[in-house]
Amino acid sequence: MSCAQEARDRAALWVVAREQDDWSESDQAALDAWLAESDMNKAAYWRLDHSWREADRIGALGRNESRRQEPSPRGRWWVPAALAASLTLVAGAGFYRSWQADQRQSIAQVRYDTPVGGHRKVGLPDGSRIELNTASAVRAAVGKAKREIWLDRGEAYFEVAHKEGRPFVVHAGSRTVTVLGTKFSVRRDGGKVIVSVLEGRVRVDDVANVHAVRSTIISGGDIALARGAATLVTARSDTRVEDALAWRAGMLSFDQSRLADVAAEFNRYNEKQMVVTDSTVSNIRIGGMFPAAKPDDFVRLLRDAYGLRVEETGREMKISS
Amino acid sequence: MVDEETIRDWFCREVLPLERSLARFIGRNWRVADDVMDLTHDVYELAIAGARREMPRNTRQYLFTVARNHLINSAKRARVVSFELVADLEAAPLEVDLFETDRHLDAREALRRFQAGLDKLSPRIREIVTLRKVEGFNINETAERLGIGKDAVNHQLAMGMKALADHMLGGAGRIVRRKYPGRAAKEDGA
Repeated sequence: MSCAQEARDRAALWVVAREQDDWSESDQAALDAWLAESDMNKAAYWRLDHSWREADRIGALGRNESRRQEPSPRGRWWVPAALAASLTLVAGAGFYRSWQADQRQSIAQVRYDTPVGGHRKVGLPDGSRIELNTASAVRAAVGKAKREIWLDRGEAYFEVAHKEGRPFVVHAGSRTVTVLGTKFSVRRDGGKVIVSVLEGRVRVDDVANVHAVRSTIISGGDIALARGAATLVTARSDTRVEDALAWRAGMLSFDQSRLADVAAEFNRYNEKQMVVTDSTVSNIRIGGMFPAAKPDDFVRLLRDAYGLRVEETGREMKISS
Repeated sequence: MVDEETIRDWFCREVLPLERSLARFIGRNWRVADDVMDLTHDVYELAIAGARREMPRNTRQYLFTVARNHLINSAKRARVVSFELVADLEAAPLEVDLFETDRHLDAREALRRFQAGLDKLSPRIREIVTLRKVEGFNINETAERLGIGKDAVNHQLAMGMKALADHMLGGAGRIVRRKYPGRAAKEDGA
């Protein structure tokens, strides 16, 4: 973590702590000592404290109005991830009402996820559909003015019902994908975001840095790979997009991919992990369609076709020459 | 030596309103977009240290001079950025309009920014920030109300605060970036 990043994070926690009732003189002394450490600490703290206070003045403006409306009754609010397999509705929050017209409707946020090897289809209230791939999690908030999805991990395929003036936005790490009506999938893999479009057009925005919002528009047959500040759009190819979406039928599709990449792909779907031990074997090129849930069959095929050695332990399959 | 209160006051009143132009200047002259926030803070750090020795007469000119020198030094140190850039920066006059009046946000503009910033947060963080700012809830009350841990509230409130600051001070800034051909392919081909 950079020095500035660290100073920012610490400064934010100080500003939060300082507003609490239990703020003591010794806390103040600790803060003063931290501020005295460097001008970077001062810059970060002064900056956050200043803009947070600006927001305070604004909060005071909205208070009267929001007091008038009692928050609507609600059930449980937020559910720990452990329970996330079950579907939980988060009932509306009345507080926003003074803020924005489009937030007048209660925003229901729903979370869906799948375990390793899982595959799940869900329908959204607006008629759009989401299909979740293995080990994936999304949260969906469908409002009257805006439809928002957060892809927390893994991969999901979207069929978006066309609604004029109601953008459908998928937030995936450092990227947001905005559409009106189309079919596409988004996959998160560490810092990498991969968007494959089957039909229609989508816009991919880099939002990691608020000072540098850049957009890339991609249409049916395109795949956008985004990492860090870069977004690469691959040449138009419907077949490649179909390959990338083969998981929807429980299949994995490869076109001259390296065995190491193929193994990594299988490992996304299965607890039993495929391990490729030497580099010559890693570079063997593989093509074809294979059932995602049957790595054993695939490994047997490797043994027969390429004469590779396979060692099986409880949780691993080691492949070597 | 200038006293700390004066510096803090100067920093909030004169430097922070320039954040948008400063970030734009850095973004135009530095190819790694992810570094802009860090570089902005580096510039703040240097600017504060310098102001302590002597308060600048023209904050804008001072800040952008500090920024330019810092970019040149960083580029030389990092060797990530091509030396063309260093040459460009050294040769070119400061690309800032030193006579542009600094725009301070009036209350209405600030409100609009704040709302737009809130809107960009995820619903949970938005909720926590709203509870704090509108309802005046403290950490304990928020944790109880939402049925989550105090640490989680703490952490998410801090996240919301940082995102809002970025948005209010610089969010609307758009960067017109120099083209560096082949970069995307290089980074993603790996």
